[in-house]
Amino acid sequence: MIAAQDRKIALWNIGVAYTAFLIGTLCGLLQVFIRNDALQLPAWLDYYQILTAHGVLLALIFTTFFIFGFFITGMSKSLGAFGPKVRLFSWIGFWVTLLGTVMATVMIVSGEASVLYTFYAPLKGSGWFYVGLALVIVGTWISSFALVGHYIVWRKTHKGELSPLFAFMTITTIILWIIACLGVVATVLFQYIPWAFGWTDTINVELSRSLFWYFGHPLVYFWLLPAYMAWYVIVPKLLGVKVFSDSLARLSFVLFILFSIPVGFHHQLTEPGISNFWKFLQVVLTFMVIIPSLMTAFSMFATFEISGRKKGGTGLFGWFKKLPWKDVRFTSIFIAMAFFIPGGAGGIINASFQLNEVVHNTLWIVGHFHITVGTPVAMTFMGMTFWLIPYLTGRKFTKSMQILGFVQIITWSIGMLLMSTAQHVLGLLGAPRRTAYSGYNGHESALEWFDGILTNHVTMAVGGSILFLSAMILIYIVVMTMFLSPKAVKPEEIVEFPMAESDKESTPKWLENWWIWIGIAVFLIVAAYAIPLSHMIHHAPPGSEGFKTW
Amino acid sequence: MSKKDDHANVDLRGTLISVFFVGVVIVAMWVIVYSMYVAR
Repeated sequence: MIAAQDRKIALWNIGVAYTAFLIGTLCGLLQVFIRNDALQLPAWLDYYQILTAHGVLLALIFTTFFIFGFFITGMSKSLGAFGPKVRLFSWIGFWVTLLGTVMATVMIVSGEASVLYTFYAPLKGSGWFYVGLALVIVGTWISSFALVGHYIVWRKTHKGELSPLFAFMTITTIILWIIACLGVVATVLFQYIPWAFGWTDTINVELSRSLFWYFGHPLVYFWLLPAYMAWYVIVPKLLGVKVFSDSLARLSFVLFILFSIPVGFHHQLTEPGISNFWKFLQVVLTFMVIIPSLMTAFSMFATFEISGRKKGGTGLFGWFKKLPWKDVRFTSIFIAMAFFIPGGAGGIINASFQLNEVVHNTLWIVGHFHITVGTPVAMTFMGMTFWLIPYLTGRKFTKSMQILGFVQIITWSIGMLLMSTAQHVLGLLGAPRRTAYSGYNGHESALEWFDGILTNHVTMAVGGSILFLSAMILIYIVVMTMFLSPKAVKPEEIVEFPMAESDKESTPKWLENWWIWIGIAVFLIVAAYAIPLSHMIHHAPPGSEGFKTW
Repeated sequence: MSKKDDHANVDLRGTLISVFFVGVVIVAMWVIVYSMYVAR
């Protein structure tokens, strides 16, 4: 078990993550009923407040705090206990992030910032909402630098050695995060805050959106890479094998630093103000991300097959039956991976330039989001929760908790299948996203979208309700394992952090030369962004005043 | 035995087919949406 002081920091992070999860999923439940015209909100609360809270609390806050809880635990386990400075800065980072979270949430709940989680200008929220967001980023940077400091100390005492795979992957994710945040920090500090407080009258909308998406796409990988860490490092241990290939795992992670950042324009393919050349260049760079994604898929299948064959599986697919399906820690992550197959394929469609026109402003994107971050990432985090919290609290993960864990992941899968499939199909038919309930003025073509058995608001509402039930089961498991389950006493009751061995003897040292990867990443970012951003600044159209549409 | 040999000796036929399956899902979904794009 890791040092008690480090456990405390991790547990507080996870505790805040699940508080945000509780509020965020409740908002999700309300949304599906409002869109079904089955619920009338009180006058002080509207759909867009709830939608903003749902997006911010789940996509930004739940993920971020959970990720840091995971990183802190894994870094303390793989590199040793934190020193006093690392602990101090981890706490400062935690409190600053929490302060920002509370500020942003208060602004959303009080109806001062119904701008959705993308906070697109010219929608204008309270300046304090943007200050809250800035503090969230600053807090994560402080926590990140604490972990980087811990890593540097380890490197100094282990000269010439490659770091453990978990630490390598943590640092990769942090590098990606810090580079990515530069965009959102620039737009929030220099555009949104002066504009929202009235120090400037107008805002350059295209520039703000471009800087947001410079951040917004790697943000997806900030969520995804910790899930991949569980896939690469945790899953083999659960299967009783080593990491399939240490160098493959490290190479795929550094490729994500290179190809997840200079690609934000693929979220802006329908926007004027960016020439086709730059859009096309970033579409090509986006497609490069398929390489490390498929390397990961290959590595996972190979891990499964090696493990299954070791346990006696024969033939082409006999190994599949030998996987530990009764272990909820594994099954949860396997389902998460399975969801990512259509999720990833949908991402390729979204980024395919002209094809984006078919799906762009539709419910397809909402469905896509829910089978990428909402299941592959979220369910991996759920699967990790089943052992991470008991590991940190020293409590048992009892038989009844294991059964509940299965109920939770199965209900989440069913709910998500119903809801996201409906959203995908409705999106292809043309149903828009980011809207409250609409009768479309009784227009026949629009009403036909919702006529199908699968493609109707009721299916979405049923799916959403099952998801909420699943979320509440998970909250129950979290509360039990955090505070109430009996303490593990016997050795077989103690829950371990399953970290697989990884043979790094034949891994090339240059894979951990960060200057190479940061250098190439900066080159690609400058190549993809310098000219179009400079064009947006030098040939800016008249700025826009703020709009408060709620 | 080196790591390279370890990999050379394992039976990964199932992995190959599984990764092909992922590729087929990607191509099939892409073609469906592409057909819709062309048809509109």
